[in-house]
Amino acid sequence: MNAPLRLGPAELTLIEQLKTRGAEAEAERLTGTGLPTRRVESYHYTDLKALLRQVPPLAEAPEEASPPPMRVPGAFQLMIANGVVQTHGSVPAGVIVGKVAGSGLTTRDDVLVRLNQSLAPESLDLNLQGSVDPVIQIDRRIEGRAAHVASSATIYVGDGASATIVETYGGSDEAHVGNHATYLALGKDAVVTHITVDLSSRKSSHFSTNEYHLGEGAKLRTLIIHAGAGLSRTQLFPRYGGSEAFADVTGLNLVADGQHADITMDASHAVPNTGSKPLFKSIARGRSTAVVQGRLVVQRDAQKTDAKLMSQGLMLSDEASILAKPELEIYADDVVCGHGATCGRLDESALFYLMSRGVPKAEAETMLTRAFLAELLDPIEDEELNEALTGVIEGWLLGD
Amino acid sequence: MLEIRDLHVRIEEREILKGVNLTVPKGEVHAIMGRNGSGKSTLSYVLAGKEDYEVTGGEVLLDGENILDMEPDERAAAGVFLAFQYPIEIPGVATMTFLKSALNAQRKARGEGEMSTPDFMRAVKEAGSALNIDADMLKRALNVGFSGGEKKRAEILQMALLKPKMCILDETDSGLDIDALKVVSEGVNALRSADRSMLVITHYQRLLNHIVPDVVHVFSDGRVVESGPKELALELEAKGYAGFDEDAA
Repeated sequence: MNAPLRLGPAELTLIEQLKTRGAEAEAERLTGTGLPTRRVESYHYTDLKALLRQVPPLAEAPEEASPPPMRVPGAFQLMIANGVVQTHGSVPAGVIVGKVAGSGLTTRDDVLVRLNQSLAPESLDLNLQGSVDPVIQIDRRIEGRAAHVASSATIYVGDGASATIVETYGGSDEAHVGNHATYLALGKDAVVTHITVDLSSRKSSHFSTNEYHLGEGAKLRTLIIHAGAGLSRTQLFPRYGGSEAFADVTGLNLVADGQHADITMDASHAVPNTGSKPLFKSIARGRSTAVVQGRLVVQRDAQKTDAKLMSQGLMLSDEASILAKPELEIYADDVVCGHGATCGRLDESALFYLMSRGVPKAEAETMLTRAFLAELLDPIEDEELNEALTGVIEGWLLGD
Repeated sequence: MLEIRDLHVRIEEREILKGVNLTVPKGEVHAIMGRNGSGKSTLSYVLAGKEDYEVTGGEVLLDGENILDMEPDERAAAGVFLAFQYPIEIPGVATMTFLKSALNAQRKARGEGEMSTPDFMRAVKEAGSALNIDADMLKRALNVGFSGGEKKRAEILQMALLKPKMCILDETDSGLDIDALKVVSEGVNALRSADRSMLVITHYQRLLNHIVPDVVHVFSDGRVVESGPKELALELEAKGYAGFDEDAA
């Protein structure tokens, strides 16, 4: 039989916090399982038990607010501070803002989802109709002393509606643990760009779960950027539930010395004629780890699914690791599904070509690194948003 | 003027260039002919400064200055230009951005000011029209999706913009049909001038009907085995390389 589970300080704190919030069943479950280790397949490369050593106290209501970590000019701003949805002023046409109690996520056998469901006090509730003009920025931050925060947003995009939603994560420079959730449902023929940018403190741990539901003909583009926390993991759970639903699910891990970033997707193609093009990139320097896991499940009825999963890694040091794992689980027989992965340094022959034309090495390297990222940034049509994202990435590239 | 003196080069344990001696005076066009594997392309890469090669002896002087210690970008600024046999496709780098970066980097290295955008656009348009390069092609990523002919024309466009002192054309005729060959050759011929030297590396005599050299060098087993006037190319075509190998022996 199994030896009794030894619980670490992070787990003991989490169990206490669950009890405080009246989530006795979850507390009991966590006591029995502990945080996932590498033996749990979906956490194989992000061993939470080993990586998450301490969990700070549950957050109190924020007293002060720092400026947002990234500004998108002209955006409609919403804020969730320490898990609490903040009041707001005037609202653009087609947008209804409210809040509901608890987390917006659907139940799933995943520790981050369960913790969010047990601990998120409330969920920002957004309802979008028609062509929503300004970019919507949801500014999530953890303020004050080191805190554990569970936050949630629920976004419904109506039939034929279109919107661009940017979620940024930041706050004070402390060893926070953020466990954030977004539930995003796209109605018939809705067109949505959903971008998340983690810019939280290097001392902190950032976890995020994004659940996507795509209706008939819905088109989704995501861009997940990890550029902040020392430990970060974003989980993407897209469900293609309507014919002709399609998503470009993209993401970017930027990791420097001492950082660990993980993008894990578990997608379900549930009906015929849906498609997806998940594309994840990682740039790793120093002694760092970037993880990309992509799981595509094609259900028995989901004939004519067209899905291509790609992971590309750029290693800028000898000590960096990039770990990529695709999983294709296909139950339909008439589908086109594939996956690929590349990992390496900058292309030496391209570098030589640029230099042979007079471009100095450092500039040539920057050009090629930008080129590596162009596929992710070029499709972001809103110019000011594109500039803001480019600024975040350039800032990382120039940093140490 | 380019002077190559007793140049020895190896890749790992294998010696590829075994004492190359070659001088291309200012304003002249020289051709190097040789069979596959004779070291022609190695010579072109070594002149441009590719890393994979180890120079074990000799020197290469451009107007009296040894270029072997220079980085590839420094050689470019000094006036060396290699037209690649297989130009590299670089997705995500716009052709125009690249051209402007290269031009301004060279100007900066030489202590000249940046070229203004209108002047740059005018220069590209002028050079492009002579080579049948339209604006659409320049909007694409560098060499990505270019046909063989388009890639070679783009190389000559770069040459026209960068105005190098020493042009090395590596198998510029490979992969070109006769029409494309004419366009490319005319582009090269237009750049012949009294203060520019050219080294045309080719496998076939065909290219030399279009770009007529002042001197032809026969390359075999890592060195120049014979040099002569342009008629040497015809002789080579008739006799084959084998005859020259024997001469060398």
